[in-house]
Amino acid sequence: MNRRKFINGIMGIGGLGTLGAAVYPVLEYLVPPESAEPNVSSLKIGKFSDFEMNSSKIVKFGRIPVIVVKDEKGMMHALAATCTHLDCIVQYRKDAKQIYCACHNGVYDIKGRNLSGPPPKPLEQYAVKIIDDEIIIKSQKS
Amino acid sequence: MKQKKIFQFIIAACFIIFNTSAAQNFDDLKEDDNCVSCHSDMEIMPEGFLPDNIHMQKGLSCSGCHGGDPATDDMEISMSEDNGFIGVPDRADIPGMCGKCHSNIEFMRTFRPQIQTDQVSQYFTSMHGIKLKEGDENVAECASCHTAHSILPAKDPRSTIYPVNIPETCNKCHGDQELMSNYNIEATQYKEYSKSVHGIALLENKDAGAPACNDCHGNHGAMPPEITSISHVCGTCHVNNMNLFESSDMAKGFSQLDYHACEQCHGYHNIQEPGDFMIGDNEESVCTDCHFEDDEGMQVAVSIKNILTDFVSVYDTAEAKLHTVQVKGMNDLEIEYLLKEARQKLIESRTAIHSFDPAKVKEISKAGVELTQKAIKDADSEMDEYYTRREGFIFASVALLVFGIAIFLRIRLISKDKG
Repeated sequence: MNRRKFINGIMGIGGLGTLGAAVYPVLEYLVPPESAEPNVSSLKIGKFSDFEMNSSKIVKFGRIPVIVVKDEKGMMHALAATCTHLDCIVQYRKDAKQIYCACHNGVYDIKGRNLSGPPPKPLEQYAVKIIDDEIIIKSQKS
Repeated sequence: MKQKKIFQFIIAACFIIFNTSAAQNFDDLKEDDNCVSCHSDMEIMPEGFLPDNIHMQKGLSCSGCHGGDPATDDMEISMSEDNGFIGVPDRADIPGMCGKCHSNIEFMRTFRPQIQTDQVSQYFTSMHGIKLKEGDENVAECASCHTAHSILPAKDPRSTIYPVNIPETCNKCHGDQELMSNYNIEATQYKEYSKSVHGIALLENKDAGAPACNDCHGNHGAMPPEITSISHVCGTCHVNNMNLFESSDMAKGFSQLDYHACEQCHGYHNIQEPGDFMIGDNEESVCTDCHFEDDEGMQVAVSIKNILTDFVSVYDTAEAKLHTVQVKGMNDLEIEYLLKEARQKLIESRTAIHSFDPAKVKEISKAGVELTQKAIKDADSEMDEYYTRREGFIFASVALLVFGIAIFLRIRLISKDKG
């Protein structure tokens, strides 16, 4: 192999590598890996008509668990599901129609106001909108 | 008869003063109220007097409690028996004196419609009230806890009955060894409580939701909880623990042996933060107080301990991996969320110990372990991604360098050929 061929070979290998290094990020951008959005400001959580009356579900709103409740009148409520006392995840009690924390029996009403037990402040509220039967929850922080 | 007249006068004075001078502050009172003006001019106001105490705020001045006529500056007249002056009340009379207003719902609701008016009747069911009725004037009455001249609402952080201040208030008497020895009570409660998980939460972390003395013993009806009511007292906050315990076989055994439910394992004033070390056959385990090696109860304890140890081990691994992911600046969103859910399962598993049923503990911890393992898998995947990116960066740099050198050599070769 003469010098010219050797340099051409290296140039080919280098060129291919450079091309690969340029193409790979483009492909990664076009086909992103499955991962949730870290900072969400609104979230679709399902059909209003599929949500049972007097029931709840906990959804992932970015990093924050949010408890969504459909009360017995069909009104939707969305609140941060982390107890303001010691960060346990709260639950909805169908019988009492209240939200409670199993860790230290903290009780909140359906609007997130702390009613009894150790929680020092209310649960953060999220706005709920129904658009074309789709439930959308939205952070009220600007 | 005379006493009745005095109390009627106090009530009348309360009404007059509350209605006519509700808006007056202390400075106004100095001008209008001869008790306040003389005593402050002569600098003989009572010790600890707080000008903005709740009674002064609402216009209730000295004569509201002590009687007398504040309208005249003639001491002979203003502090005469005819004007209902009682001076410093006997301690035994204080609950009745406060109760003249505070037990009168029609009067009290004019200030706060939801106010309680059963304090005095509750007080006389308490050990303090019972003893006071028996003639013991060393026990606490209203002013012992609320103070006499600096009474503030419980929500005011300066108040002696503000949650964070309550242990200190009780300790004024209950920390007095000499006084307590008269009742065969130890004076170490505050010392023990302040080192407990509840005491640290309340006194150090200022968590006003943490229980103070009154949350377990009651306020005006303060009494030591009976054996049968202990789990109910603790269960007001630790409701799931109570429900699980009460429906367990252990509760039946405790009842037969007259054991004190929660207190038997956790203690009372000196309750420490519970941990997995409390269960099993290890030295610190509370199970070993009653159970012996290889008896059925100990086997259950060891079995539960193993379930928890396995869960904690995998959870700790996941937390360490989450930390690495965060330090490397990779996406920790899903992992953090999964671990939040897993942590909840860990709390629930630990609560389920109170069922003394390994199957129940296993069922909850299994769900937690699955969440934790998923978090570990995600963390590993993030770290793989991190190393792929790093290796990719090295590859791209080398490729660019090689390409650059090759171009340089090629240009030089072309120049040589031309030359």
